[in-house]
Amino acid sequence: MSKIQEVKELVEGGKSKKVAAAVQKALEAGDKAQDILDAMVASMGVVGEKFSAGEIFVPEMLIAAKAMSKGVEELKPVMAGDSSSSLGTCIMGTVAGDLHDIGKNLVVMMLESAGFDMVDLGVDVPAERFVEAIKENDNVVLVACSGLLTTTMPALKEAVQTIKAAMPEMKVIVGGAPVTQEYADEIGADGYAPDAGSSAAKAKELIGA
Amino acid sequence: MLTAKQNLQETIKGGKPDRFVNQNEFLEFVFEAPMTSFCTGPGTEIEDEWGILWRWPEGQLGPFPVHDEEHKVIKDITEWKQYVKTPDHYKNPEAWIEAKEHVKQIDQNEKYITIMFFPGIFEMTHSLMGMEDALMALYEEPEAMHELIDWYTDYLLDYAKVLIEQIGPTAIYQHDDWGSQISTFMSPETFKEFFLPSYKKIFSFYKENGVELILHHSDSYAATLVPSMIEMGIDIWQGVMTTNNIPALIKEYGGKISFMGGIHSGEVDFPEWNEAIIKEHVDRICKKCGQLYFIPNLTQGADVSSFPGVYEAVTAEIDRISKEMF
Repeated sequence: MSKIQEVKELVEGGKSKKVAAAVQKALEAGDKAQDILDAMVASMGVVGEKFSAGEIFVPEMLIAAKAMSKGVEELKPVMAGDSSSSLGTCIMGTVAGDLHDIGKNLVVMMLESAGFDMVDLGVDVPAERFVEAIKENDNVVLVACSGLLTTTMPALKEAVQTIKAAMPEMKVIVGGAPVTQEYADEIGADGYAPDAGSSAAKAKELIGA
Repeated sequence: MLTAKQNLQETIKGGKPDRFVNQNEFLEFVFEAPMTSFCTGPGTEIEDEWGILWRWPEGQLGPFPVHDEEHKVIKDITEWKQYVKTPDHYKNPEAWIEAKEHVKQIDQNEKYITIMFFPGIFEMTHSLMGMEDALMALYEEPEAMHELIDWYTDYLLDYAKVLIEQIGPTAIYQHDDWGSQISTFMSPETFKEFFLPSYKKIFSFYKENGVELILHHSDSYAATLVPSMIEMGIDIWQGVMTTNNIPALIKEYGGKISFMGGIHSGEVDFPEWNEAIIKEHVDRICKKCGQLYFIPNLTQGADVSSFPGVYEAVTAEIDRISKEMF
């Protein structure tokens, strides 16, 4: 098995304690840092698809994301100053009145694994805070809003519409248990992901990556 | 007319109920039993006997455990023993005086003496360290997680002994959310490995000591866990959401377990609720699920709703449809 393939499988299997050494070996064997990173991103794509298909569950996705981040840590010194792998910044938060963070955290991990620089605003985020965060951060290309409660759907709508009023060109993706494609369309969001597994693919599609 | 208890028995045993079991009518909750401390309402926070900080912000429907680095009780699962403490507040007989008084008033021909027990085993693991840490530990530190679960199981068994001695409950209403609305938090295999044996032990102990009925609350998707629920001795899964295809579950498992819920709290229990919405939901689920092995109920659990009048309106609609369908 090639060293890069080994890294890929370790990420997919969530073997966070072994990934760093495998990345080092791949580098020593002459694999390019960018190729190793691409392999890990592809692994997380597979993980996301398996999650969406119900083949794996939250723990498996969490440990894969953790393994990926261990691998990325190892690549950082080699790739320092190279921003070509970044897809841009994504601002994410759970909307006002909603304290649920598990789904939001999973999406943060998946988007980070896909190459976005994530700014996590946490939970119970007022609509205006999303706009402020867009202004405070560089190269924001996407905003992701999560809502888990039927009662906070109006807050999701307010968040999307506040962002769009301030910055009509900004892409906004929404998700959460009660959210549907129809509701996303109705409130003016650009995209919708039914689960964390499919969020990265949708986010990349929205920014044309 | 059957008593509430008789009607429940007819429903879950495939007999001849004379009406729908109406939500929790067969249960009398003894909320005076000593439990660990809990937030009293919006705007409050409390550190419970386990050291878990609970915060209920204004405008929210319930409290959440706080899991920033400072407030996680277990900061390293491999060192869990150095972080946890085991409450013994329930061992004081005086703590049971009010509960015992309540039990004396219960007409046991009509109702089961019931304790709603929170948190469940899975909930305790993630209340102590946060959901992400708890779920990852199932893979990364399985031995430590087994030890932690065994420790809490021992606590639950010790509590059960005192509970039985003090008030002799005839039903247990265990709370443990095992999934989101569309999926379980873990695979059925992982669930089986970590949580089935403990619950089997606890529920068997209850049943050997006078408890006739085990209800388990998980207002989530959990259809794939039903075989484990049956194996651990659950009689009624409360909180079953329609994302589970309840009619199919009834067809496959009716007689071994019954399903209580089907009326999504999130879809009927909100500030702008009205009777027409509730009627629609009650009609739909009752007609779909039929008269056996099903108990129409708000998924949230217990005999409450988040917004005034919703629980009572659901009860009234179930009474109405009972007259139509029975």
